[in-house]
Amino acid sequence: MKSVFKNKSYDYLLFLGIFLILLPLGYLFDIVSITTISLWGRYFCFAIAAIGVDILWGYTGILCMCQALFFCMGGYGIAMHMLLSASGKGVYGSAIPDFMVWNQVASLPWFWEPFHGFPVAVLMCILIPGLFAGIFGYFIFKSRIKGVYFAIITQALALATWLLFLRNETMMGGTNGLTDFKMLLGFDLSTSATKFGLYIISCFVLIAVYIGVKQLVKSKFGKVLIAIRDSESRIRYTSYKIQNYKLVVFVLAAIIAAVGGMLYVPQTGIITPGRMNVTASIEMIIWVALGGRGKLKGAILGSLFINFLYSIFTTALPGSWLYVLGILFIVTVLYIDQGIIGLPNQIREYLNKLKTRKA
Amino acid sequence: MKIIKISTYFLKSIGVIAAMALLLISCNSKAEKNKNETSEGTPQTSEDPIKIGVLHSLSGTMAISEVSLKDVVEMAVEEINESGGVLGKKVKTEIVDPASDWDLFAEKAKELLLEKKVAAVFGCWTSVSRKSVLPVFEGNNGLLFYPVQYEGEECSKNVIYTGATPNQQLIPAAEYMMSEEGGGYKKFYLLGTDYVFPRTANKILKAFLLAKGVPEKNIIEEYTPFHHQDYQTIVSKVKKFAAGGKACVLSTINGDSNVPFYKEFANQGLSASSCPIMAFSVAEDELRAMDTEFLAGHLAAWNYYQSAVSPENTEFVNSFKAFCAKNGLPGGKDRVTDDPICWAYTGVYLWKKAVEKAGSYEVDKVRPALYGLEFNSPGGMVKMDPKNHHLAKPVKIGEIKMDGQFDVIWQTEGLVDPQPWSEYTSPGKSCDHVAHGGTYSI
Amino acid sequence: MLFFKHIYTVIALQVTLFYFNLRIYTMKVYKCIVTCAMMLFSIAFYGNTNDDLTKLMSSDSEEKTEALRRLIEAQDLAAFPVLSAINDKKLFVYGGKLVTLGKKTTHNNITVYELITLYPETKGITDQKNKSLTLDNVDLKEITFSRKDRLSIIPLLPFINLTSIDDEVRKLAYTQFQNKGDYSTLKRIEKAALRETDEGLIRFAKETILSIRLQNATTENVQMDLIQKLVKNKGDNNLNILTTFIDRPELDAVFKKKVKIQISSIENRSNRIEWVQNLFSGVSLGSILILIALGLSIIYGLAGVINMAHGEFMMIGAYTSFCVQELFKMTSATGELSDFFFWASIPLAFLVSGLFGLLVERLILRKLYGKPLESLLATWGISLVLIQLARTIFGDLTSVKAPSVLSGGWEVVPQLVLPYNRIFIILMTTAMIVLTFLFLYRSKNGLRIRSVTQNRAMSACLGISTKKIDAMTFFIGSGIAGIAGCCMTLIGNVVPDMGQTYIVDSFLVVVTGGVGSLFGTIAAGLGIGQLTKLLEPVFQAVYGKVIILGFIIFFLQFKPKGLFPAKGRVADD
Repeated sequence: MKSVFKNKSYDYLLFLGIFLILLPLGYLFDIVSITTISLWGRYFCFAIAAIGVDILWGYTGILCMCQALFFCMGGYGIAMHMLLSASGKGVYGSAIPDFMVWNQVASLPWFWEPFHGFPVAVLMCILIPGLFAGIFGYFIFKSRIKGVYFAIITQALALATWLLFLRNETMMGGTNGLTDFKMLLGFDLSTSATKFGLYIISCFVLIAVYIGVKQLVKSKFGKVLIAIRDSESRIRYTSYKIQNYKLVVFVLAAIIAAVGGMLYVPQTGIITPGRMNVTASIEMIIWVALGGRGKLKGAILGSLFINFLYSIFTTALPGSWLYVLGILFIVTVLYIDQGIIGLPNQIREYLNKLKTRKA
Repeated sequence: MKIIKISTYFLKSIGVIAAMALLLISCNSKAEKNKNETSEGTPQTSEDPIKIGVLHSLSGTMAISEVSLKDVVEMAVEEINESGGVLGKKVKTEIVDPASDWDLFAEKAKELLLEKKVAAVFGCWTSVSRKSVLPVFEGNNGLLFYPVQYEGEECSKNVIYTGATPNQQLIPAAEYMMSEEGGGYKKFYLLGTDYVFPRTANKILKAFLLAKGVPEKNIIEEYTPFHHQDYQTIVSKVKKFAAGGKACVLSTINGDSNVPFYKEFANQGLSASSCPIMAFSVAEDELRAMDTEFLAGHLAAWNYYQSAVSPENTEFVNSFKAFCAKNGLPGGKDRVTDDPICWAYTGVYLWKKAVEKAGSYEVDKVRPALYGLEFNSPGGMVKMDPKNHHLAKPVKIGEIKMDGQFDVIWQTEGLVDPQPWSEYTSPGKSCDHVAHGGTYSI
Repeated sequence: MLFFKHIYTVIALQVTLFYFNLRIYTMKVYKCIVTCAMMLFSIAFYGNTNDDLTKLMSSDSEEKTEALRRLIEAQDLAAFPVLSAINDKKLFVYGGKLVTLGKKTTHNNITVYELITLYPETKGITDQKNKSLTLDNVDLKEITFSRKDRLSIIPLLPFINLTSIDDEVRKLAYTQFQNKGDYSTLKRIEKAALRETDEGLIRFAKETILSIRLQNATTENVQMDLIQKLVKNKGDNNLNILTTFIDRPELDAVFKKKVKIQISSIENRSNRIEWVQNLFSGVSLGSILILIALGLSIIYGLAGVINMAHGEFMMIGAYTSFCVQELFKMTSATGELSDFFFWASIPLAFLVSGLFGLLVERLILRKLYGKPLESLLATWGISLVLIQLARTIFGDLTSVKAPSVLSGGWEVVPQLVLPYNRIFIILMTTAMIVLTFLFLYRSKNGLRIRSVTQNRAMSACLGISTKKIDAMTFFIGSGIAGIAGCCMTLIGNVVPDMGQTYIVDSFLVVVTGGVGSLFGTIAAGLGIGQLTKLLEPVFQAVYGKVIILGFIIFFLQFKPKGLFPAKGRVADD
C-alpha cells in the first residue's frame, strides 16, 4: 500500500478530492444534478475497463480488440439477473422477460437459470468471461499468435459474437438488448439515492482495481510482463513460459472488463450488442492511447476525458464531433506518444531541447 | 531539481483543477438555472422561448434516415414561430446527437428532460432507441413523439406514436397481395433484417396468413444481419420458392441492404411481374439517390407518399424542399418527403394543437388534450385515437416508379384505427389510457 | 352475334399469324403493320369500336362508362392498347386522339415522356421536324375512370397482356393462363406463342400450352407424353404444374409413380442448379474478398501495417465512380448517361484512391514505421475522419447506375442465371491478380518491393530507396482498393461506411493467407468465400460466419503464420 502512495500523491488527492468530496458535496447541496453524478459513475466503469486494456496493451504489448465483448459479458450477466428479479412486473406480467414473450418463448432458457440469485449471478459474470478468455487465449497463445495477427483474430471474434448477440434466437434480446430494469438487490434503480450509491460503489471499485493492478505491475510478475512487451523472444530464450503469463493477463483483463460492465449496466439502464462491436473495443484502446499507454493513471484519465468530451460534443457540436475525435486521435498517436498524462513531461523535454539548441 | 519537480506538479494540479472545475460548472450551470425555474410550475418564464427536444442521430449508421426527421421538425418549428408561436411564445429546438449509440439515447433523453427541461421530445427511429429511452420518459414523465412505423406491442403513457401500428401497414398490405386485384398471391417469402420490427412484423404476418388459410409450407421466414450486402444465396432461394408461380416477397429489409437485394433480385432474372416485393421499410427518402432501375414496379405499404394529391401535401412538399435549399442542407431542393417525415411533421403540429387546447405545456395537461385531436396533415385528415396514444390514418399501397416516387395503386376507404396489440398475435390485449391506464386484458 | 365475334377473332388471329410467320421484320415493325391490319379489319367488321373509343373522350361519365363496358364486351383486339392504357391509368387525349405515355427520358432534371397514339395504330407522335413529341411541350388531357371501371378490365387483362409490347407483361400473362386455361384460350395462346422470338418467352408460352393441354387430357398416354414434354421444356413452373397434377384423385397408383419419377427428375435438376449457383456465389464472394485483400496484403507485407482505413480507400473509389457519373450527367448534352462513365471511372478510382493512400503514407504512416500497433490505431482514426467526411460531402445513400451491359444475367441453361455484374467482378479480380503478379514478379520495381518486404535494412544498404518504394506500394495498394470500390458499386449502394462491410473478412483473408503472399491471399480468399457460401444455406449467414471464424482459429493452430508464410529467417522482434 505504501509504495502506491509514496510519491506523486498529488494526483490521487486531486482525484479523490474531486470525485469523492467535491461531486458528492455538490450533489448534497443541489449544485450538481443526479444525471451528472450518474454520468460520471458510468465513466468510472469505462475507466475500470480501460485499466484492463492497459495491462494488456500498455504493459504486455497485446493489442486485444475484443475487450468490449468481455465488458458486455459482465453487463449482460447482471442485466439478466435484474430482469429475472423483476419477473412478473413486465408489460406481459409473465414470469419470463418481456422480449421472450414476443419471441414466442414459453419457458426460461436453461442458461438464464443461474442468474436468479445475486451472488451466483455475480460469480457467473466473472466466471464466464474469465473462462471464455481462458479457453480462447489458451489456443491463441499456444500457437504463438501475436501482434497484428492477434489483433485481427480478436477483432473477428468481436465481430462474430456481436453478430451472434444480434440474433434473436440466442435469447439475449437481439438488437434491442436487455432493458427496462427495475430493481437491483431490492433497491429501486430509478431513485436518486440508488444512482448515487452506484456512483460511490463504482468509484470505490475503480480505486480498488487501480490499487490492485498497480501492485501487480510493480511485482516481479509485472516486470516480466513489461519484458514480454519489450522483447518477447529474449524472454522466451530465458525460459519463461510466455504463454502462461499472457494467458493470466488476458484472463485478468477480461475479468476487470466484466466488472466494469457489471457496474455500467444498472447505471445506464440498457445493454445492447452495440456496446460490444469492433468499434466499441477500439474505442477502449483509444482511451488508453490518448490517456497514456503503459500508465494506469493515463488509462483512467483517458477514458474519463474522452467520454466526457463525447457527451459534451454530441450536444454542442452535433454532426461534426467525429472530426474532432478522429483528428485528436491521429494527433495523439503521431505526436503525443506518452498520452495526455505524459504531455507535461513531453513539453518540458521539448523546451529543454530548444534551450540546449539555443545554447 | 526537487523544487522544479514540485512546482511542475503544483502547476499541473492547478491546471487540472481549473479544467475540472470549468467542466463541472459548464455541466451544471444550466441545470442549476433550470432548477430554480421548475418551481414556477411551467418550465419557462414568459419571455423565454418554449423548448422542445430533437433526439435524432446525426452521425453513425442511422444518420442516413434520421437527419431528414430532424430537418422537418426544425421546419415545422420555424413555421410555427412565423405564425406567432405557441400560446404566444416562440418555440426553440434543442438538438442533440445520440450518434446511433443506443446507450447515448438514454443519456441524451435524460439530458433533454432534466437539464434542458424541454416540454416535449421529438425523436427516435429504431425500436431499440425507443426502448432505450422509454424508462427515462416514464421515470421523468416526459413526452416523446415517435414518428416511425413500428412493431406495436407497446403502449406507453409517455409516448405519442404517430407512425403506423402493424394493422395500419402490414395487414392491409398482406390482404391486398392475397386479393384478386393485388394478384392473388398464395406463397409468401417473409424476408427481413434481424431486429425487432421485422421479427414482430413477420410474426404478425405469419399469424395472419395462417389464419387466412395459407398453408405453413407456403410461408418462409428468413432474416439477414444489419448491413448485409451479399444476397446471392437468399435470392436463389427465393427463386426456387417462386418457381411455382403465385409467390411474392414481403420485405422488412432495412436501409442499405435494400439496394444489393433488389439488384441481385433483378440480375438473377426475377421481376416485379413474376415475384413482386412488398416492402415495409422502403420510402422515398431511401430511394432519393438510389438507382431505382431495379426497384421500379415493386410495391410498398405506407400511410403517406410524396405523390399524394392534396393542397396540404403540395404545400408541405414545396416548403420542405425550400427549407432544405434555404438552409444549405445536403440535397437541397432535390430532397423528398416520405412517411416518417410526414408523421414527424404532423407530430409537431399535434403537440402545438394540444398545447393550445390545454392552455399549458405541462405533460399531464397536454396528454389528455391530444386524445381525439384531428389534424389535416399532408397525408390527409388524421385523428388521434381517443385513448391509446396512436394515430388513425389511411393505408396506401404504392408502386415504385422509375423516378423514386410512388404511384398509389390502392388505399383503404377512410381511416384505419390503430391497434398497438395485434389481434393475431396478442388476442385479448388492448390499450386504453383513459379507462385502464395503459395495456389491459379484455 | 357472339358467334360472329368468335369467327372474327379467329380470322383476325389468322391474319396476325400470317404476318408473323414472315418473320422478316423486327418486332416493332411487326407491331405497327399488324395493328394497322387489324384496325382495318375491325373497322370493316365493327364500326362501333371506333364509336366507342370516341365516346371514351366524352365528358359525360355515364357515357364513358357505357362505352368502356361495350369495348370490354366486344373484346376487340384493336381496342386492347386503349384498355391497357386505361388499366395503367395512362390514357390521355391529345389533338382529338387517344394517346398514352411511352419511353421516359430525363433531360436536365426534367422528366419527359414520349407520346404514343393508341388508335387506329400504335406509334410515336412526331412533330414537323420529325422529332418525337414529348410531355413537356404538349397539353394533355387525362381521361380518368373510376376504380370500379378499371377493375372491370381485369378479367380481360390476360388477353390484353398477351399482345403487350413489354416482354415481362407477356411472360406474366402466359403464367396466368397456366392454371385456368381451356381450349378456347389455348388457341389464342398458341397464336401468341408463334409470335415470340425470344427463347425464354417461347419456353413460357410452350409451358402454358402444355399445361393447358395436360389439364384437359384424359388418357394416360397423352398425359405422359405431355409431362415428358413439360420436363424437356425446362420451364420455370413445371414443378408446380406437375405437383398440382399429381394431386388429382382419378390417377391410379402406377401412373402416379411414373409421374413422381418425372417430378423427382425436375427436383434433381433444380437442386443441381442451386448447387452450381452457390458455387458461383462462392467464387464471386471470394473474388470480392481477394480484390479487397490484395492491396491490404501488399501493404501489410511491406510495412507491417494493417491498414484499418483500407475499406475507406475502397469507399473513396466508389465515390469516385459516383462523381464521374454525376460529371457525365452534367456535361452530357442529352441528359442521358452513357455507359462509358463506368469504364472511365475505373482508372480514375485507382488514381484517386492511390493518391489518398500516398497522402496518408506521406503525412502519417511514415512516422509510424516499426510500430505496427500504433499505425493500426492511427489508420483507424483516419478511417473515422474519412467516413465522416464522406457523410458531410455526399450526405446520404447514393448509388452508381450500373452500365446496361452489366445488368441482367447470362442464362447458361434455363433457370441458371449468372449475373453479369458478378461475372465482371470475377474477371476484374482475375485481371488484377495477373497484373499484380506481373508487376511484383516481372518488373524492376516489383523486385524492389519484394526485396524491401524481405529485408528493409539490407535493401536500403544495397541502394534501394525504401522511402520511394514505400510510397509506391501504398499508392498501388490503395489504388487496388479503389478499383475494388468501383466494382462494389455494381452490387451495392455507395454509403460512407461501405468499407466496413467486408473489411474484417478481408483481414482474415490476409491472416489466413500469410504475410504478403499473393498466392496465400488468393487461396484464402477463394476458400473463405466458398466456405461461407457452402455454410450459408445450411446455417444462415451469421452462424456461417461464426463457424468460419472457429475454423480459422483452429487452422492457425497448425499454421500460425498462414497458408504461405514468408520463407527465410525473419527476425521475430
